Amino acid sequence: MARVTATATSSRRLLLLAGLALVAALALAGCGGGARPAATAAPGAFAWLTPAAAPSGWTVAHLPSGRASLAYPPGWRSIHTDPGTFSAALMGRHGTIRGYLNATPQQGAETLANWARFRPDHNKDEGDFNVVTEASALGLNFRTGSGSCVMDHYATVRAHYREIACLVHGSRANTVVVGATLPRDWARLGPQVERAISSLAT
Amino acid sequence: MDILDTEGSTPMRIQLRKVAASLLAFAALLGGATVGVAQATDGGHAHAAKHHKKKHHHHKSKIPQHNGGDHDSDNNGGPSDGDGNI
Repeated sequence: MARVTATATSSRRLLLLAGLALVAALALAGCGGGARPAATAAPGAFAWLTPAAAPSGWTVAHLPSGRASLAYPPGWRSIHTDPGTFSAALMGRHGTIRGYLNATPQQGAETLANWARFRPDHNKDEGDFNVVTEASALGLNFRTGSGSCVMDHYATVRAHYREIACLVHGSRANTVVVGATLPRDWARLGPQVERAISSLAT
Repeated sequence: MDILDTEGSTPMRIQLRKVAASLLAFAALLGGATVGVAQATDGGHAHAAKHHKKKHHHHKSKIPQHNGGDHDSDNNGGPSDGDGNI
């Protein structure tokens, strides 16, 4: 009787232990599942993206191909840029670019899936340094398609910049749109850059 | 008492042990799988980092600065444009 009771108690303890192990394993699984989205995207960082036509008073520029348009705010002007692309800037003292917008047809191996890595890598390849990715997201809605965006900052030989760069697959073409400002100007010019990127049609 | 002694208790004990063993095995599998997923995720990042480090050495050339290249803004310390090459 005592042996049987002890055995039954032992079995119950084993059952309790197994139950605890299961709870622990489920909790661990829950933690693992929760960690994955945080590592891949920060959609909240792109909540400003509200696809819409440009506000009145803004200038709408078109790529030479006619397959993309981008608006830029009053006070900014178009600047020399690569063939087939469009760039506008708000210039500061001594020729420093304080605010920058660019639209370029997709040219390289960038994809919606690899954009969050491709763009910072590309900036490094262009000679920028201290490139730091702040946020990235996939599946963002634009006026005429969907895109992937990355927000990062870096230094050039002349200045530091904070940028938003998006690859957009549209109904007419795949286009890269970039907006950047000096970090100290972000509070004032960042919303204009975001509004310009929201105006992209491609 | 006899019911508890042998004939009645043995099947119950075996059943309890079987249930406990099944739960332990399931928990071990679940835990292992979770760790595996986490390792795969980290491994993916590590692999990507290695891959891109290597990529820098052979698939792109650095953009010319000091008004080189095509003399646009990113050849003069300005922001990077959206091209995939220069």
